[in-house]
Amino acid sequence: MIEARQVSVSIGSKRIVSDVDLIVRPGEFAAIVGPNGSGKTTFLKAMTGELGYTGSISLNGRDIAALKPWEAAGMRAVLPQSTALSFPFTVREIVKLGITGGRTGALAGEGDRLPERALARVDLEGFAGRFYQELSGGEQQRVQLARVLCQVWAPVLDGQARYLFLDEPVSSLDIKHQLIIMNIARDFARRGGGVIAILHDLNLTAMYADRIGVMHRGRLAATGTPQDVLKDELIEKVFGCRLRVGALPAANVPFVLPQSAVA
Amino acid sequence: MTDETFAGTAGEASRHDSGDRSARALLVVGVLAVMLALTALFSLTWGASDASAWGLVKDWLFGATPGQEALSARDSIIIYDIRLPRVILGILIGAALAVSGAVMQGLFRNPLADPGLIGVSAGSGLGAVSVIVLGSTVLAPFTALLGSFALPLAAFGGGLVTTVTLYNVATRQGRTSIATMLLAGIALGAMAVALTGILVYMADDRQLRDLTFWQLGSLAGATWGKIAASGPIIVLALAVTPFLAKGLNALSLGEATANHLGVPVQRLKYVAIVAVSGAIGASVAVSGGIGFVGIVVPHLLRLAIGPDNRYLLPASALLGGCLLLLADAVSRTIVAPAELPIGIVTAAVGGPFFLWILLRKRGVVDL
Repeated sequence: MIEARQVSVSIGSKRIVSDVDLIVRPGEFAAIVGPNGSGKTTFLKAMTGELGYTGSISLNGRDIAALKPWEAAGMRAVLPQSTALSFPFTVREIVKLGITGGRTGALAGEGDRLPERALARVDLEGFAGRFYQELSGGEQQRVQLARVLCQVWAPVLDGQARYLFLDEPVSSLDIKHQLIIMNIARDFARRGGGVIAILHDLNLTAMYADRIGVMHRGRLAATGTPQDVLKDELIEKVFGCRLRVGALPAANVPFVLPQSAVA
Repeated sequence: MTDETFAGTAGEASRHDSGDRSARALLVVGVLAVMLALTALFSLTWGASDASAWGLVKDWLFGATPGQEALSARDSIIIYDIRLPRVILGILIGAALAVSGAVMQGLFRNPLADPGLIGVSAGSGLGAVSVIVLGSTVLAPFTALLGSFALPLAAFGGGLVTTVTLYNVATRQGRTSIATMLLAGIALGAMAVALTGILVYMADDRQLRDLTFWQLGSLAGATWGKIAASGPIIVLALAVTPFLAKGLNALSLGEATANHLGVPVQRLKYVAIVAVSGAIGASVAVSGGIGFVGIVVPHLLRLAIGPDNRYLLPASALLGGCLLLLADAVSRTIVAPAELPIGIVTAAVGGPFFLWILLRKRGVVDL
């Protein structure tokens, strides 16, 4: 279980996140949504130990402040919003960095081909020998996701759930790959892991998230199931934009929802 | 800047379909080891004197046979007391310079980081010159306490202070700015050179002779005594670096991501900085500032085997030793019987090479 209690984060003298409480249970896909600058990424960075905070954050009952880097790496993997690479690694070499911590949880015999298997899952089969810096932004994002998957290949290890922290995992992907990546995340949760993802697409969020936390000006404005949270008033208050949930466009305007995907 | 930095390099390098370059890297490490052994043998037999290779080999094979000395007493002295320490020192220093370059580049996440360019060597030099000039007066207790280790340790201290200062100046919130790093390195280097200049001004004639040869960079003073003083520090520093390799690999994705992957980044940085300062300090103490090895060697190797530090670091050590021996062979024969300081040779070759890197990767130094 990921448990954040009264978490506040200040950068310099500016308070970015105030008193946020959030719990993500094993098996759960939690989404954080909110306008730009509402503190989503800052909150995620506090939970992954990147930023200092006040309050308490624990992973499977252990205070993250007391976890050694390699212990934390065995319990959760983190996909950042963007990754700049400083040397010309091949795709396979990048994905293999996910194994640095050494606790993938892959079955014996699976380990060697893990980078290839992870790449196949993110629809990058055959990309292992390409240079990372030659790939498009969306492809790079999927390579990073493959690396993250390698790190926590088994969603449950030694009876303990493991977690994925994803910061805008589908922001630069086409619709097909958005669905693929969201399915991977949901599958990770179904198999007993926990997922916490920052998302911008409210339709994808409604489709995949078990629970949604809505951030607004550094605070959690609402939490609950998609049905509870995605309401006209809340969206107007938080995003400052008058939208109506469930309203269809005029009859002759096409619209395409991810929910319509045929498996 | 990094994303575009390597597009050129990557496009020209051959494809690796499986993306796994470790087999090739191992092969290259093996080849380099053989090359280093051959270069060392060549260096033992190559020089202004005609002490012959055949004599040396015969001496090794049959040397134990009494009354059949294959090597004349004169040749024996030349080889064992003059050339052998020089070869060993050349390998140690070449390895130290190249590996320090590779580690610094990994640490600063930038292929242009080099101890010579960013002032670390100058800082080490200041430490060393302090001991040479002030060793019998102000620093007498220090030199009395440490004996022959005083010089390498002072150089180590100078390098350490420079590296730590540089890192703190150039890094804000986990991001190391290359512009700040290079500029701060120039500033620190200039300060160290200025202070060194003041010390040189104070030096007496005997000290001046020590200093001149040493400031240009040279292996000419190689003795078993110097190896005993600097060798252990270099070997120790180099022995640590393989343990940094995985962490440095992860660090190329950024400090935060390396930490998420389980790397204790803070500790990695401390160990890397101390190891680099030790290796550079000990090298500078015996041979002065020899430039460009630290930038040229890792760069060439990255083209051949990729940036994986598990192979890059040992390969850098081997190729660094090799190149320095070759440069030394040039330096002691090109104007024979006189000798050119080796720093001049590496600068003469390394300078153009450095320009070539810049031209090939235009835009890499987008300050």
